[in-house]
Amino acid sequence: MKREATTAVVLLVLMVVAAILAAGANPLLLVAGIAERALFTRAGLLEALLRTIPLTVMGLGITIAFRARVFNIGMDGQLIAGSVVAVALAPLLPANAAGIALFLLLGVLGGALWGGIAGLIKARYGGNEIIVTIMLNYIAIQLLSWLVRGPLQESMRIIPRTDSIDKALRLPIIFEGTRIHLGLVIAAAMIILVAVLVRRSRFGFKLDVVGANEHAARYAGIDPRRIAGLVLLVSGAFAGLAGAVEISGLYGRLQEGFAPGFGITAIAVALVARLNPLLVPLAAFLFSLLYVGLGALARNGVVPFPLINILEGTVILLFLAGSVAFSRRRKVAEATDG
Amino acid sequence: MDEVLLLTGLLAAGIRLATPIALAAIGETLAQRSGVINVGIEGIMLVGAFVAVLFTVEAGNPWTGLVAAIFAGGALGALHAYFTVRLKVEQIVSGIALLFLGLGLSGYGFRLTLAQGGEAVKVPGFSELDLFGLSGLPVVGPILFGQHALVYLTVLCALGLAWILARTRLGILIKAAGDYPAAVDAAGGSVDRIRFFCVSVGGMFAGAGGAFLSTAQLWGFVENMVAGRGFLAISCVVFARWNPLGAVLIALGFGIADAAQIRLQSYFPGVPYQFFVIVPYVVAIISLAVGSRSSQMPAALGIPFVHSR
Repeated sequence: MKREATTAVVLLVLMVVAAILAAGANPLLLVAGIAERALFTRAGLLEALLRTIPLTVMGLGITIAFRARVFNIGMDGQLIAGSVVAVALAPLLPANAAGIALFLLLGVLGGALWGGIAGLIKARYGGNEIIVTIMLNYIAIQLLSWLVRGPLQESMRIIPRTDSIDKALRLPIIFEGTRIHLGLVIAAAMIILVAVLVRRSRFGFKLDVVGANEHAARYAGIDPRRIAGLVLLVSGAFAGLAGAVEISGLYGRLQEGFAPGFGITAIAVALVARLNPLLVPLAAFLFSLLYVGLGALARNGVVPFPLINILEGTVILLFLAGSVAFSRRRKVAEATDG
Repeated sequence: MDEVLLLTGLLAAGIRLATPIALAAIGETLAQRSGVINVGIEGIMLVGAFVAVLFTVEAGNPWTGLVAAIFAGGALGALHAYFTVRLKVEQIVSGIALLFLGLGLSGYGFRLTLAQGGEAVKVPGFSELDLFGLSGLPVVGPILFGQHALVYLTVLCALGLAWILARTRLGILIKAAGDYPAAVDAAGGSVDRIRFFCVSVGGMFAGAGGAFLSTAQLWGFVENMVAGRGFLAISCVVFARWNPLGAVLIALGFGIADAAQIRLQSYFPGVPYQFFVIVPYVVAIISLAVGSRSSQMPAALGIPFVHSR
């Protein structure tokens, strides 16, 4: 099995190299170019850091879900739902720090609501969360498209977007002269929260038991479906928070496609972090560097941008193959001995 | 008479819109019956759709495109099989990776080839048949005799798979691999080989579904054009309790819902069109809520088979 895993790794790397060569680019120069744009320019580094904020928050939500083997792939929809609820109710909020907190809380509630629909269907009817969350993505995208052209459209009624939220509801910039906002601190707080939740709490223990073996969970008096439902609600809340933070910290208003594919990338982030909340920010930063660097090269026409999706898929498969190559041998040995 | 014409058009279009979902659902039924979930068929369909257009344009013949899409789908199916059956990794995660990969490969390939000219490429795609010269018949003509060749092949494939599963030794082996793999193993069969075969063929069906989408239903490729149909196909499989004929019927339901929402848009111009576009997705969610009793689920679905000795 170890040799088969190595074969898979070699084949995957060859596939990516072939894809890059097919675009007439040099793979080595491409890697160097990505590193140069993302790591060694101030603008690139700051942009990557900015993108790390939502990806960390969402990656943490995915971490909670995947630990229980609940596959929430609808974070894009939950992010939209959170942002919509927050922006729609923003005019009712007080124009002070409490207002910011309430704005973020509304994002959390909106995301939890959207994730909670999938959670309810999972808990009550056992409906497959992968399909339900994906369907809810498509529904959220359509509803957003309607809202920014209808009831929530800016008062000028020209561009499909909302009016700006009140300046007092914007997260403050924490480094003068950059766009890095307080969301960075919020993301850091979430890392600690999730690390404690996963490792020290009863809920975290239940996640791992359900994820390891549903039957064992039932014997231990844990209802796996109820946990799964709850997990969808909680991970949805993280996506909603990420959306509200993006609006409040970066854009100040709602428009279509403001967080493209974040829900998908967050899955790759969480898997590369091996579902360890402390590694999530690192993985999020790496994927952000990749995104920023590749984005710059794609704009210059070096390679088409969808290479990013090829790389995300490949990285997940590489980690799967790697986990086989490094840990399977021991497990097989245990199985044969026992 | 107007109502009859309307209904005829609705059913004929519903069948056309259902076919890509049905093809993918047949393949997914086969894979899941053998014990392997593939949640990445959306990605395979995207690659199938792109490859079909590329080869159709190059060869000037949609059948070449279809064959190429089937090969590409089979290759991606085999990749999933390699990871889930040989390496025995988490099937869902491998499927998610396949989804990214399909999204990336199709978009990347498209921008390198067909999107280069800037102008839309003319695609010599499939046309509807006129079986026995009867497609002009009122009502039943367009529904039964005026469909694409692939529509009839899809029905034949569903019947064929149902027959294989119910009546043949191969079918028994496939079902046993999904329900009680240890029995296959004890009888000297290879669970891994059966599953590898079923997942690869399942990928071929998804590739063909993508090809139908881009060379019969529409004539051209747009990035991310599958738009959730791969996931609709999976919900067909679940709702039909892993029965291939049932899956095709459920797919037909989605196709008719889709055809209906397109028509309703023009009847209710006051209602935002987005509310109609979401209809098939809402139907899928409701069907999963109603139809998810799992009693018929292959017992070993999602569980890798490891030799005990």
